[in-house]
Amino acid sequence: MADTISTQGQVLGSAGRVRKVLFDQGIYVILVILIVVATILYPPFLGPDNVLLILEQNAPLGIVAVGMTIVLIGGGFDLSVGSTFALAGVLSAQFALAGNVVLGIVAGIIAGAVCGLFNGFLVTVLRVNPFVATLGSMTLIQGGTLLYTNSQAFSVTDASFAFIGSGKLGPVPVDVIIMVAIFALAQLVMRKTLYGRALFATGGNPEASRLSGLRTKTIEASTYVVAGVLAGFAGVISASQLGTGQGTAGATMALNAIAVVVIGGTALTGGEGSVLRSGVGLAILAVLQNIYYTLAVNTYFQLITQGAIVVGAVALDKRLRSRITR
Amino acid sequence: MMDSAPTVTGDRDSTVAIACRGITKRFGVNTVVDGVDLEIRAGSIHSLVGANGAGKSTLLGMISGRIAPSDGIALAFGDEIVAGKPRRARELGIATVYQELTIVPQLSAVANVFLGNERRSGAWLDEKSMLARFAELCDEFELDIPAKTLGRDLSVATQQVLEIMRAMNSEARIMMFDEPTAALSQSERDNFLRIIRRLAATGVAVVLVSHNLGEVLDVSATVSVLRGGRLVETRTAAKWQRKGLIHAMTGEATPVSVRNEHPAFGEPLFEVENLTVPSVLTAVSLVVRKGEIVGLAGLVGSGRTTILRCISGDERRATGTFKIDGEVVAAPRSVRDAIMRLGIGRVPEERKIEGLHLQRSIPDNIAMTDWRRFIRGIFVNKRKQYEVANELLTEMRISRPIGEYPVGDLSGGNQQKVAIAKWLARKPRVLLFDEPTRGIDVVAKVEVMAAIRRYAREGHAVIVTSSELEEVVDISDRLYVVSKGEIVEDYDMHSSPPTLNEIIKRSFAKTG
Repeated sequence: MADTISTQGQVLGSAGRVRKVLFDQGIYVILVILIVVATILYPPFLGPDNVLLILEQNAPLGIVAVGMTIVLIGGGFDLSVGSTFALAGVLSAQFALAGNVVLGIVAGIIAGAVCGLFNGFLVTVLRVNPFVATLGSMTLIQGGTLLYTNSQAFSVTDASFAFIGSGKLGPVPVDVIIMVAIFALAQLVMRKTLYGRALFATGGNPEASRLSGLRTKTIEASTYVVAGVLAGFAGVISASQLGTGQGTAGATMALNAIAVVVIGGTALTGGEGSVLRSGVGLAILAVLQNIYYTLAVNTYFQLITQGAIVVGAVALDKRLRSRITR
Repeated sequence: MMDSAPTVTGDRDSTVAIACRGITKRFGVNTVVDGVDLEIRAGSIHSLVGANGAGKSTLLGMISGRIAPSDGIALAFGDEIVAGKPRRARELGIATVYQELTIVPQLSAVANVFLGNERRSGAWLDEKSMLARFAELCDEFELDIPAKTLGRDLSVATQQVLEIMRAMNSEARIMMFDEPTAALSQSERDNFLRIIRRLAATGVAVVLVSHNLGEVLDVSATVSVLRGGRLVETRTAAKWQRKGLIHAMTGEATPVSVRNEHPAFGEPLFEVENLTVPSVLTAVSLVVRKGEIVGLAGLVGSGRTTILRCISGDERRATGTFKIDGEVVAAPRSVRDAIMRLGIGRVPEERKIEGLHLQRSIPDNIAMTDWRRFIRGIFVNKRKQYEVANELLTEMRISRPIGEYPVGDLSGGNQQKVAIAKWLARKPRVLLFDEPTRGIDVVAKVEVMAAIRRYAREGHAVIVTSSELEEVVDISDRLYVVSKGEIVEDYDMHSSPPTLNEIIKRSFAKTG
């Protein structure tokens, strides 16, 4: 501990520098190791078919995780994305069944925005703790969706509805393109725009941000809208992939998204984190899932590993962080 | 134990509480404390003074067993103080009270005093015995602290007393205080000094780190000055004088901020009339002219801070008439509205919580009040951020190079300069300063005061308040005295400056 403290800040001992690099780059190292292991166990792992398959399977989760990252950086928390995901899927499938695919997609996204706005209202206007607010809205939205669908699934056979989830542009699936585009856009917005800066500032220190003249409530509420929109979009894509919208979808979505984001090193305390690193977190879980799948390992092992990785990642992060910053 | 400290075998003088022998601390290539020899006697108050970065905190850390020395040794009553073993330090009778108090807000006063040292009878807590001991301690300090009140409902001063009681309970023989009076009012301060005098009289060695030189000279038996990690000099307090002390701390002649004798003020720039907050402020009216610094003096809780918060739009219950350039304007609806529409900014009281984003860089903090200025197209213009930050760093005399490290790594003085610089970047027409020099060293104080004066003289309206009366008096062109939420006096500091005593007397005008 002693070598790395510095009274004036930056002068870290050599051990401290190593730790800082580990801290910053650790998850990339873990990902590379996993990929190497995967390739050894399953040589076609890095082939384009397998890579695209992994990406496609995880596109909805990835899109939800982008929204979750933004909420967490803003100092919030969102448990309701899974319910929003299911609602949007149902709505889009229903509109598609009625013959209007485009309207279905739009309706799914708007439903997401409305759910997000509701969360934002609960958190910033009524000042309900984000965990409690979104726990409530999660149940509320889920109940509403199930009531509305009467627990029925809507199966769509319309080929144009399948395009967004199963279509391809050249060799690349459309949903993969959408996910990558969302990651890139979000990364750019978070790093390079005023909105991104204001969000990091608000999540890190809401009081100082407010006293500096930032619209902290609007910014905070906006993160839930973004998360809702992305969850809605992901729900539509997933419904399109499966050809069905059903109210029971997305049950583990919120927790998986949080797992992805946390592995990526985004702090639950706000003001810290990165969309790009959430992408790496997603890749780590996706690679593991693929290894287990191709080796036909019992899926329960996968759950156990995933849990261990989440806990391990956070514990390691905490340890390295405390050593760097005294 | 003796074996581990061969250099001092046989040197068990019971009046020496702490002995440092060539104690040194290096962080990487930086030597922060350099070969300090120091003896602190039992039953006396020993102060450590020095500018920020002089090594006081690190030295204190080594004495309290928090930081391991790179070289040399520290002994408490002849036994080596081993770092990283807080329990061992406690056994040696060492207790430290930091600026950040460790009172648990949800626990009662008694429970806080007995935290980690609870008395039990069998499996149950012995509340009766703890209450009795608590009453004893209160008697000893001649204080009346309600035993069952929760920590969060007690004043900072009372919380501090609880920490001292906690230390006494664990039979501490060495008590160290890091900036104990920075957050206290004058009377609380006097009370605190009385308590540590009493502690010393009972044989405890008291170590005091403080920026308040008046207080240091007043209360200490011995004062040691640190500069650049070295011990410059130790003398008995009687042999120090304020000027000499500052000279020893800075290594230069006393820095002063020059007050121009006949400043020219323009028209009234900012006025507020009948500013009222139910049961807090009553019909406060004040005027600030272009180029003028208006001071607010008053006791803690008199409403000084509330006045500033109202003016900066941070008090929903406030009513009153606002005028800018003599024209009536709508009162600010929010902090943002005050900044954007009226051009009113405030450097808040608590720089770590309200003033700064500690985990963000200097350029990001400086851009915080005026992001639009740093946008090109839709992207943040980092180069511009650095340009402006560099200019302000020079202006504020922040010696640290600019970079992507967090502001929290800077010393208190430099942090405060950044908290001010972020407003200088925006240049609001009216700038309010709440406690601009709290907890920063003498040199930084002078520089902050000079920056405030420069800003006013550029034609802005400035209001300053501070619990250090001398400073408000020193910087103000005009001074309002606030007592119980009312303005009771208005002094022109150039034509008829009042004495400090007069101001203090007026501060009590409406109380009791």
